[in-house]
Amino acid sequence: MQCNEVFLCSRLKNMNAAPVASHSCTTTILLNASGAIGLLFYRPCVFCNAVLQTIFKSNLSKNVGVFPAEYKSEPPSVRRNKSSIRDILLGTKNVFLNFIHNSAAIFLPLLLFFCNAETIAQEGSANKLVINFKNMVGGQLLQTDSVYTNTFGETFTVRTFKYYISNIVLSDDATGKKQFYKDQYFLVDEDDSTSKKIELTTTLNSITSVNFLLGVDSLKNVSGIQTGNLDPAKGMFWTWNTGYVMAKLEGNSPVAKTPQHAFSYHVGGYKKNEQTVRQINLVLPQKLICENAAVQLTVQANILAWFNTMNAIKIGDVAFCHEPGMLAVRLADNYSKMFKVVQ
Amino acid sequence: MKLITTILIFVTLFVVGVSWVANTSRTHPITFVVPKGWPQPVYDFKQNPLTQEGFDLGKKLFYDGRLSKDGNFPCASCHQQFAAFATYDHNLSHGYNNSFTRRNAPPLFNLAWQKEFMWDGGINHLDLQPLAPITDTNEMAETIQNVLGKLKKDTAYRRMFKAAFGDENITTQRMTKALSQFVVMMVSANSKYDRVMRGEDSFNLPQRLGYEIFKRKCVSCHTEPLFTDLSYRNTGLATDDYLHDIGRMKITNDAKDSLKFKVPSLRNAAVTAPYGHDGRFASLLRVMMFYNSGVLNSATTDSLVRRGIPLSNYEIGQLTAFIYTLTDSSFLKDPRFAPPGYESRTQQAPIEHIH
Repeated sequence: MQCNEVFLCSRLKNMNAAPVASHSCTTTILLNASGAIGLLFYRPCVFCNAVLQTIFKSNLSKNVGVFPAEYKSEPPSVRRNKSSIRDILLGTKNVFLNFIHNSAAIFLPLLLFFCNAETIAQEGSANKLVINFKNMVGGQLLQTDSVYTNTFGETFTVRTFKYYISNIVLSDDATGKKQFYKDQYFLVDEDDSTSKKIELTTTLNSITSVNFLLGVDSLKNVSGIQTGNLDPAKGMFWTWNTGYVMAKLEGNSPVAKTPQHAFSYHVGGYKKNEQTVRQINLVLPQKLICENAAVQLTVQANILAWFNTMNAIKIGDVAFCHEPGMLAVRLADNYSKMFKVVQ
Repeated sequence: MKLITTILIFVTLFVVGVSWVANTSRTHPITFVVPKGWPQPVYDFKQNPLTQEGFDLGKKLFYDGRLSKDGNFPCASCHQQFAAFATYDHNLSHGYNNSFTRRNAPPLFNLAWQKEFMWDGGINHLDLQPLAPITDTNEMAETIQNVLGKLKKDTAYRRMFKAAFGDENITTQRMTKALSQFVVMMVSANSKYDRVMRGEDSFNLPQRLGYEIFKRKCVSCHTEPLFTDLSYRNTGLATDDYLHDIGRMKITNDAKDSLKFKVPSLRNAAVTAPYGHDGRFASLLRVMMFYNSGVLNSATTDSLVRRGIPLSNYEIGQLTAFIYTLTDSSFLKDPRFAPPGYESRTQQAPIEHIH
């Protein structure tokens, strides 16, 4: 995941224009000298990332959690091979950072005061939360070479199973505190084991429920070309009729009246009456206490829900769904019931 | 307190200094000029600031066959400058493996004012538009991943992506934004009509009479200055019994949109023959004869054409004279948009004005 707009100059130029919604991190730094100059960074570019990290690492024993998980893999030095001017700037930057390091004690309260409350620590401690997605068929863990039977007695195999998870919200109902993960989009793909682990940094002391969207919110469906997990090259996008495929289930079934008895449900649609994004609210069986070590949570996605929960959909009747519309909505109603949280 | 103020001022100066130096040492912004009296563009330039480097990259991509599966179908194979970036003299364009497209390639200009793209408006953003022809099996027939793979292997592309976007990372987003930077600059607003409107030129008699007829009989859909209101309408064309094209209804799933297609602009119409969503009309004369006597009424046929548009031979002649004033030769020959290597040569269609 690269920082899209790396240079401060572009930030400065766009500061009036950049809508919060299109950026993955809403970190906001306001450096305010006598109220005269304000600088807004909606995403930490490498520079301010480094500044923030230096400050926080030097003064806090724990990571405060300013940085969304996706930025962690990118060290601040990643852009070191720039032009010679950049090299000079980087040299200057190091001097500057040392300066900052020494005066961090003064800076820290200022930064904390101005930083966006949603992503920054309020309680002074941050813990890692890992949500493991386990794809299931009934009570069994999904295997792409196994044959399963749905409630209509139709046997089938699964070749592809992918879905988007976004807008995660962690809540602690006891204290009423919530933590939002806006503009973070995850594509859970059965074929990619790393995609089934979603790592979040949380500042909540305990968690009682997990909410998220299954799919991509309509804003991102109408905001032009995206990158990262929302890159159309991920194959979860309709190019001729703009919109994301929220979830995809493909396989074979002897009852499918199609070539090679294939069935394929590509479920998408964001317009009125064609909405296939579903809000998923999962209450944890018991309160999850966030301690220093990484906390784990498992969410099961049961494929059998696609066929017979809200609506009865038989592979023998409809084997293909490749456009927004009534069938996609019916499938979406079904998959809204597929999740279950276990601890 | 004094210390804090000093530090803050130092930081501010440093940040401003860094941004100033970084800015001057990198890209060269280009300005998008909105013609006088035109509405504000709908394209959000703040999300894709135009730079010379981005434009040059977009141009290279537009003319590069490697964006297609077998290397033979760059964007420019269906969008030729001398035909106002439509396909010259083809009702349907050729695609990969001897296939044909299912609709007439639209000309490309004034895209900054369009909210939706394609004849059926299925694509809601200019930056997403290139993905449809690149991946469609009867057009360029390639996958996005393969295209990116080919670009990444090319050092020239790596250099150009770095110049335009700051590093060598080649992504779908950067590729289509660069293409947008190239095509969004295609503004056609310097035809004889525009010069007349600016008071720099005057119509001759047939052109003036044609403009009067246009204002009485055509302007409700082909509104100035874009010469389209960008709406979707059923003009009463019989459905092709091979293509079975239902138009806008394919996108909205709404029977009310059956057989509706986007109103095309009349700008540069003289060089974009054939006409109609499937290119069924070989000439302007045939289009006008159709409106005069060929309109087929069905449930969704537009009320404005239900009784046809009566046009005498005399009126057809004057209207044609007027439509010719919408040809913008400075756009058709603008070296900025010419194929790489052809910037200084005159681009011409194989035979001019055969219809």
